[in-house]
Amino acid sequence: MSYSDPYSERVRALFGDPAHAGTLDGPSVRIDDQGVRIEISAALAAGTLEKLAFRAYGCPHTIAAAEAFCADFEGREAEALEGFSGADLMQNLPVPHEKTGRILVLEDAVRSLGAKCRDSKMNS
Amino acid sequence: MNEKPVYLDYAATTPVDPRVAELVAALFAEDYGNASSNHAIGRRAAALVDEAAERLAALVKCDPERLIWTSGATESDNLAIAGAARYRERRGKHLITMPTEHKAVTDMFRELEREGFEVTWLKPQPDGRLDLAEFEEALRDDTQLVSIMHVNNETGVVQDIGAIGAMCRDRDVLFHVDAAQGMGKLQIDLSALPVDLMSFTAHKLYGPKGIGALYVADRPGCHIEPLLFGGGQQRRIRPGTLPVPMIAAFGLTAAIAKESIHADLEHIAGLAERLWAGISNLPGVSLNGAYYGRFPGIVNVSADDVEGESLLLALEPVCVATGSACNSQSQEPSAVLRALGLSDAQAQSAIRFSIGRPTTVEEVDLAIERYTSAVERLRALAPERAA
Repeated sequence: MSYSDPYSERVRALFGDPAHAGTLDGPSVRIDDQGVRIEISAALAAGTLEKLAFRAYGCPHTIAAAEAFCADFEGREAEALEGFSGADLMQNLPVPHEKTGRILVLEDAVRSLGAKCRDSKMNS
Repeated sequence: MNEKPVYLDYAATTPVDPRVAELVAALFAEDYGNASSNHAIGRRAAALVDEAAERLAALVKCDPERLIWTSGATESDNLAIAGAARYRERRGKHLITMPTEHKAVTDMFRELEREGFEVTWLKPQPDGRLDLAEFEEALRDDTQLVSIMHVNNETGVVQDIGAIGAMCRDRDVLFHVDAAQGMGKLQIDLSALPVDLMSFTAHKLYGPKGIGALYVADRPGCHIEPLLFGGGQQRRIRPGTLPVPMIAAFGLTAAIAKESIHADLEHIAGLAERLWAGISNLPGVSLNGAYYGRFPGIVNVSADDVEGESLLLALEPVCVATGSACNSQSQEPSAVLRALGLSDAQAQSAIRFSIGRPTTVEEVDLAIERYTSAVERLRALAPERAA
């Protein structure tokens, strides 16, 4: 058992100033599972993720992970969302092993958003 | 965290009073005697132990001869419960407690269940108090021990230990009280209370960690089996060389508390009222446990739609607790709050503010400001709840 600070400097910074907090008008996904609620929305421009935003009810790691995801994926192709894995975030933030389930909720939300973006592109 | 911490977690532990710290340092350097040794240095150590027992006994109004020194309230609780249950098991194996007790009590009772004892777990009323009629009904001919705490460590709710003890005494049932949170903060008069066993600790009262005591009443049938073996100290109930500087420190802690108990309570009650007045206007914020009949120094609040761990971090530099500090490594919702009927989400959002002798108005005002802004920020961040 460790009694050290459970939050890295990065987690503290992302949690303390989540620049991507909010909701956008484009495709959005919301998942409520594992005691966590995550909503992610996107603004698309020609298949590119022009903007990403999130809202989250959860622990600091969950909020920091959602913020880190948004910051990382903005400007990328929407197709990339469907291949998103939370494993890198788990390692880089880092997120403790016992919170894997919460990061998997984020992963599910991101991949679902990818599918919605794909559908939205096909229908446009 | 660069800002100076604001400590509002006095139910977890307290800073050591400088007078006590000074005494401990001096005794560790100078009074190294073994209180069992029959020479001048040993007798000096024994005198320090006797003085400490008299000071603690004066605080809780008992015979100093009836105090057993332990390593803290966890050991006192374990020793009282296992010791009494095992001593009386030939008379019966039925025991009574509540799920809102400290882990040092509930885990010991679960251990006794594994040994074959039968435990009745009485749920509290929504305000945290024991239903005395339900308690009376739970007492049986084979009931041997009841353990109900004085002040709850998470909610501050105070149980009517006088009434509970009277019912136990009528039926010759031993009554143990965990008084770790109440000792020196609320008046305890063991000369009048029908209590057989009472657990104490120094570190919740501006004394050092690692020293506690157990009161064992002097009456027929009230005896406990030891948990430790290895010497004749403390009537063989709790053998081992006595940590004289720590015991003396506990004695001084008790003496200081005896002098300041009324002023402390007035100070703490005023600040707690200010704190609650400052945050209770926030929508969806509720007090957990009874408002009246509570030690005012513990203010446990839930906020709808706010996650407790995030709230704890957002509150920094205000140092408070989610659930009980002893249990804060766990992500599980507090069993105490669940027993009061709170949902998992309500229990998860609970924050325990606990106020102490050194707490200032400025610290309470900062806590109000931080709590308000943290709750508003986290609610704004959260998606709407599903209908």
